[in-house]
Amino acid sequence: MISDLELAARVTGSNDQAAFQQLVERHQAAIRRFLRRLLTGDHGTADDLAQDTFLLAYRKLHTWRSRGSFASWLHSIAYRQFLQFTRKHARSRVMAEPPDRGTDPRESVDAEILVPRLMKLVNAEERACLTLAYAAGMSHPEISGITGLKLGTVKSHIHRGKQKLQHWLEEHDHSIPKQNSETGTGPVEEARRA
Amino acid sequence: MPEHGQELELERLLEYSDAPESGEFVVSVMNSVKREQRSRTLILWVFGLLGALFGLAGAVMLSDSIARLFSFTVYMPATETTQMVLFIVAAVAFYSWVMNDDLAVGG
Repeated sequence: MISDLELAARVTGSNDQAAFQQLVERHQAAIRRFLRRLLTGDHGTADDLAQDTFLLAYRKLHTWRSRGSFASWLHSIAYRQFLQFTRKHARSRVMAEPPDRGTDPRESVDAEILVPRLMKLVNAEERACLTLAYAAGMSHPEISGITGLKLGTVKSHIHRGKQKLQHWLEEHDHSIPKQNSETGTGPVEEARRA
Repeated sequence: MPEHGQELELERLLEYSDAPESGEFVVSVMNSVKREQRSRTLILWVFGLLGALFGLAGAVMLSDSIARLFSFTVYMPATETTQMVLFIVAAVAFYSWVMNDDLAVGG
């Protein structure tokens, strides 16, 4: 498989759009999912920001230095796009909506909807750090590079974010839904069937 | 131990789902890239040509005045001095354009 570095060199060297398409195909899922988490499930806006992210990456590909991974560089652009968006829409409904503490999200659905709702319990920085650590599988120094936060701050955001989520789950006296190994379904689905 | 188990489950919950993403997104991004490429080329050609035309007209009109400004070029004819000045300005403009960076990327 051709490395990201080689593909990027083809794009910057000879404006090879097929090479850039390969880069988009390779990283689109991670960037879109990252932005969906940050936007607590707003798929439309997440995809718009993801598109802006790739367009900006195309314009500025020559500035990418191969010290860090291409994925980290893309995530850092995506995170800045998200921050710009939140600044512009600071008072909009999507970002200002408080977590729905009155209902248990797991009563309504499976992880697809549960996770975005849980994400509303933590602030944007904690959300970014948790997602990059546990979903994107990045190291703490990488997260620090992407978000521009100090290493210690990243660690405390992850710790505090996890505490908040665990506390909420304990407070509502629920265990985290597990896939049933026999039926392949979650507890909510099983409850519905019952 | 139960706490550790719950922590592991929370981490599992935070993982991305394996659902495949639609290919429409890639098509949409590539269309935007092509659109941008076209408009960039168009802008560069239009403004480049306009700039060249105005530069040429200005050089013809002001060649004597420009030459007088540069006393160290007394041995050079007015037209050549003007050409030299225009070349330097164009080189600086080109370098600034090439080195232009976006703060949103650099952080």
